[in-house]
Amino acid sequence: MGDSAYSFSLTTFSRTGKLLQIEYALNAVANGRTALGIAAVDGVVIATDKKFASPLVEGEEVRKVEKITEGSGFVYAGVGPDYRVLVRKARKSAQSYYCEYHETKPVTQLVKSTASVMQEYTQSGGVRPFGVSLLVAGMDGDGVPRLFQVDPSGAYFGWKATAIGKNYVNAKNFLEKRYQDDMELEDAIHTALLTLREGFEGEMNGHNIEVGVVSKSDGKFRLLTPEQIQDYLDEAN
Amino acid sequence: MSEFTLSPTSTPSPPGFSFDLTHRNALIAQSAAANNPGKLPKALKTGTTIVGLVYSNGIVLGADTRSTNDTTVADKNCDKIHYIAPNIYCCGAGTAADTEKTTETIASQMELLRLNCGSSTSRVVTACTLLKRMLFRHQGYISAALILGGCDVNGPHLYQIYPHGSTGKLPFTTMGSGSLAAMAVFEEGYRDDLEEGEAVELVRRAILAGIWNDLGSGSNVDTCVIRMDGSVEMGRNCVTPNDVGVLREKVVRSSVLDMKRGTTAVIGESFRKRSGGGVTLEDVVITEMET
Amino acid sequence: MDFKKIFRMNDKLYVGLAGLATDVQTLDQLLRFRMGLYELREEREMSPQVFTNMLSNLLYEKRFGPYFAEPIIAGLDENEKPYLATMDLIGAISKTKDFVVAGTAEGNMYGMCETLWKPDMDEEELFETIAQALLASVDRDALSGWGGVVHIITKKGVITRELKGRQD
Repeated sequence: MGDSAYSFSLTTFSRTGKLLQIEYALNAVANGRTALGIAAVDGVVIATDKKFASPLVEGEEVRKVEKITEGSGFVYAGVGPDYRVLVRKARKSAQSYYCEYHETKPVTQLVKSTASVMQEYTQSGGVRPFGVSLLVAGMDGDGVPRLFQVDPSGAYFGWKATAIGKNYVNAKNFLEKRYQDDMELEDAIHTALLTLREGFEGEMNGHNIEVGVVSKSDGKFRLLTPEQIQDYLDEAN
Repeated sequence: MSEFTLSPTSTPSPPGFSFDLTHRNALIAQSAAANNPGKLPKALKTGTTIVGLVYSNGIVLGADTRSTNDTTVADKNCDKIHYIAPNIYCCGAGTAADTEKTTETIASQMELLRLNCGSSTSRVVTACTLLKRMLFRHQGYISAALILGGCDVNGPHLYQIYPHGSTGKLPFTTMGSGSLAAMAVFEEGYRDDLEEGEAVELVRRAILAGIWNDLGSGSNVDTCVIRMDGSVEMGRNCVTPNDVGVLREKVVRSSVLDMKRGTTAVIGESFRKRSGGGVTLEDVVITEMET
Repeated sequence: MDFKKIFRMNDKLYVGLAGLATDVQTLDQLLRFRMGLYELREEREMSPQVFTNMLSNLLYEKRFGPYFAEPIIAGLDENEKPYLATMDLIGAISKTKDFVVAGTAEGNMYGMCETLWKPDMDEEELFETIAQALLASVDRDALSGWGGVVHIITKKGVITRELKGRQD
């Protein structure tokens, strides 16, 4: 194949059967800002902490929750630039799916294709794995709310509620206690903010967190504005 | 390693046109001319009247709804006003598949651009540039003549785009085989700063001029109003002067036209029950396990 | 010779292809391949709308060297409502609520269908109407004929009838 001796994959099995690069990538994720998601009966919410290293950072142009299709969106924990590559690829694949079939790419398909991109980067030469875990929230034509997690290895899971990034163990414990099967979207948004607050250093406001929701009423994914987030925070107080 | 060099997210076939059959088809056309075993199928054209104009508060686009295959009317009520972005629409004349696919491709690129820029509306110049580049790249072989209109941060814009990729920015324009008839109406009735009602009425008259006086155009009038506040009003079939439905209902159908049961001689019949996708126990023949 | 021109895609979706025999068969194969892949990947049936767009793209890819075939797509959608569409050889879709025709006897069939079609026919009426429209049309077309076949797609299943036609 013309591959030189140095072009084999960085992710090579160690003698113990581990892929160390993938474990390191997971460490990068665990160091990232917390992100979490909850699937309610009538919608899904994903949220993340958007705190910066310095108060001098211009934060309004930084986007962590991103819309992918009309009815789905991503959030991440880990390496920001890696995330943007995945967002761009996912959006493009969703557009080419739409061009081919004239139907919005289903969330499950979006998850599978993004996961295979991530898998490809664990087995190809000259690349490293993505340093991100994704949460994918969305709703298809059938109106079933869906929440998925995609890991650097390319493994993906469906969740009722989960958290990734810094403090994810505590956040998941908190969610396990708070989650109810008949939860509605409004409750889920409050629970998401409450969970985020558990591990948050300082005061949460509309500008240092991001929230994305998809609601059964219109099946559309949208970002909450800082004002809307502030309203939810005020309600909780 | 080919498994890994091919992106698993890509569509089944590589992007761009495939020229696999061009040579074969040229040979077929050659032998068809010699032996004449029947006519080769032709692509649908939209011998069309499409128009657009700028009025005081936005853009009005208009189109007829006839699509033709040679001299046969293939579709009596097709849609020639295509979506580009929430604030931009585009009328298409020429080969039906070309106008359809070209506008779809650009609409998709515009949506991707909006997502990546985090904006809710697009600019008309962007759409115009993407369209003209695509058409120019194909040197006029994609036969799409377009009228592109929309409202963005810089105001209302109206462009006409020729199949070879040349463009013009105009206050009012017409294209397609009925463009002369429609332009006559525009030249007579257009003023700067028309009110919306007047503008829509002028567009309807221009399209009707095409419908009545151009053989390639016909059926109904479609309009589309795009206002500066971002609202869009689609006037699909807003004038239907050729609706035969009403007349047809009045006709007393001869009973000869009602086909009685058993009219047709049948030499074989079969019924394929719907399987319903999954397999149930009913579909399985249960036999005793051999021991 | 009995040449097959109508192909079953799934329980609720049939496609008719009129045109060059080799392209008709190639398209059938390509369509079944792409549809099979879709149904395995997505674990659901392909709707007629999606199928139409997929076929349209398949044809348009060969815009400058097309398959010589004009398809007709007939089926029932997710709500069991009748779905009819046709396209030209490079994939320009047109959808109608009454009838679609394609092939060498196109002109004749337009005439027959415009005359015989009426709204809300039941399946038996529909069969007699379409069969008579077809037989009468191919009688005046030297290139079509040698019998005919009608498929009636219903909620319960598909009725297939072979018609007795002229053999000249």
